[in-house]
Amino acid sequence: MSHVNTVLGPIPTAELGFVAVHEHIGYGMPGSELDTKWWKTPEQRYEETVPKLRRFHENAAPYGGATFVDATGICNGRDVNYYQSLSEKTGVHIVASTGFVGGDTALPFFERASVDYLYRQFVHEITVGIGNTGGKAGIIKVGVSRGFKMKELDLRIYRAAARAALETGVPIFTHLAVDVEPAIDIFREEGLPLDRVLFGHADDGVSQGKVRDRWIAEQGGRIGFDTFGYDLELPDPPFWGRPRQERLDHFLGYLRDGLVDSVLASADANCSPLGWPGVKGHTVNYLFETLLPALREAGVDEATIHRIFVELPADFLSIKTLVKD
Amino acid sequence: MTATTCVNTVLGPVEADELGVVAVHEALLSVLPGAQYAFDITIDRVEVFETLAAKLTEFRAAGGGTVVDATGMFHGRDVRLYEALSRTTGVHIVASTGQGPEELLGGYFLTPQTNPPTPWPAEKWADLFGQEVTDGMVVPRVERRGAAGLVTTAVTRAGATATDTELLKGAARAALATGVAVSFRVGADPLAELETVLGEGLAADRVAVGGLDRVDMSGLAAKIAERGAYVVLDHIGTEGGELPTDAERVALVADLVGAGLGDRVLLSSSATGVAKGHPATDVAFSHVLTSFVPALRAAGVSEDDVHRLLVANPAALLALR
Repeated sequence: MSHVNTVLGPIPTAELGFVAVHEHIGYGMPGSELDTKWWKTPEQRYEETVPKLRRFHENAAPYGGATFVDATGICNGRDVNYYQSLSEKTGVHIVASTGFVGGDTALPFFERASVDYLYRQFVHEITVGIGNTGGKAGIIKVGVSRGFKMKELDLRIYRAAARAALETGVPIFTHLAVDVEPAIDIFREEGLPLDRVLFGHADDGVSQGKVRDRWIAEQGGRIGFDTFGYDLELPDPPFWGRPRQERLDHFLGYLRDGLVDSVLASADANCSPLGWPGVKGHTVNYLFETLLPALREAGVDEATIHRIFVELPADFLSIKTLVKD
Repeated sequence: MTATTCVNTVLGPVEADELGVVAVHEALLSVLPGAQYAFDITIDRVEVFETLAAKLTEFRAAGGGTVVDATGMFHGRDVRLYEALSRTTGVHIVASTGQGPEELLGGYFLTPQTNPPTPWPAEKWADLFGQEVTDGMVVPRVERRGAAGLVTTAVTRAGATATDTELLKGAARAALATGVAVSFRVGADPLAELETVLGEGLAADRVAVGGLDRVDMSGLAAKIAERGAYVVLDHIGTEGGELPTDAERVALVADLVGAGLGDRVLLSSSATGVAKGHPATDVAFSHVLTSFVPALRAAGVSEDDVHRLLVANPAALLALR
């Protein structure tokens, strides 16, 4: 039966409902845990997080369920016990990731590790569990280090992820879709179909002019419009922000050209950031409160919305046994 | 030494003259950053505690009084465990703040979420380390505990990177502001690295320079000591490769003492009580006492000088000033 690993165990794909495919309960760069300026009490963390998840659950009710894919990865504050308690108490399905946001978020132990070791780390977290939590990862995170250029360590992580994805059947999502040619080479060399990879942040402000998203789509990759809501119109936008209408037009271009099956959408919001201030007011619920109304206003029908937020992510997240070419 | 000089241990301030014999550059729980998340590494607190307690008890039985965990704030330091170990074994434990070299830092410090991602400068390091003395050492995202007793950092072996230099300066500023000493492990140019620290206005006798018992560092120990800083021979018990034999170390110590530099020498093993994610330096905390000191005596080093090396020098270094 088609299923997905959540932090509380495998669930049938049919239960996922509305999927926010690239989000964070709380993200912090490795080392940020040492800097008390970011510390929050457990009371504050739950207080900041639970109402957002509850609202997400309510918003998603018409779709039959709410699924939150956490893109935090190893070393960045991923906290599976905490996710389990949040999921259990709010009813939101939470999918945790193995892998790394990018080479520059992998701590020295992993920086020194071989492709084979990294592959075994990822497979263990997908098939046995993350630490002693019993929760299994449902997706693998990889990414490009700062500087828009793949580093050797990034490439090692991509290759290990490709092998782990083939072995376990979970998909991969990327932090950034820039400098993508070496990534696609690796996936092809390893025999991983590109529809098992979501090339993320293709829509962010700093990537524009550097990201060949239509070319990636032509190769069969999925395109992540997954920074929806990081709008330059915000009072204090992050450096990767983008004018709201420009991002929307970029996205609508895919729908207009019949490429809906190439895209997935999400907000990349932090419920309660761990090592940075976060962006005030930006939550996963942007998808319901701002994006869906904007799509409807642009003439996108309900079937297409259902396809983007329910059917396509279900297909993407389903654990698939793949046959190597 | 005045009776009012105190040392920060994990159980609170202790008079410097109560430390006894000090192992000044060791590691209790040593975890290569990231190894705590490795799928095939288990950190069993009970097992770690029992192993460390046995080693500390053996150290105490050999005449030891104090162990300095000199690996800083991001290499497995576990303050709550060290408190329990100190209570259980009666060995004073001094824990350290600090980080380095660059290759051991987390991305938060090297590629922060700013554009461009500028690595941390000295003033931020000074604040981070200094607060671990004034406000207490962190249990990440949970609480602060007792005060750090030392600031440690290290320089990249191939030579100081820009960030290593900022770390040295930040450590020096934290020491100046709080009264603890600085200990750093040398990279390629110990004298220049020491000058970086001293350039911040820190007195030379507030600085301990480690890693000087490497074969490629011959002659530098005396120069560092003449400059007024402490020379730490910190791999005693490990021989071969880039490291000299203990017999060669004995000769070096005897030379330094003979040259009147005995009040600037410290002895240690960089022993790792429990190591995770990297090879252990499996030397007993008592090795200096049980093996090295007899060899020093045989080489003609006096009891007064042995006392200086093991007791008085570390007390002077660790005493808050």
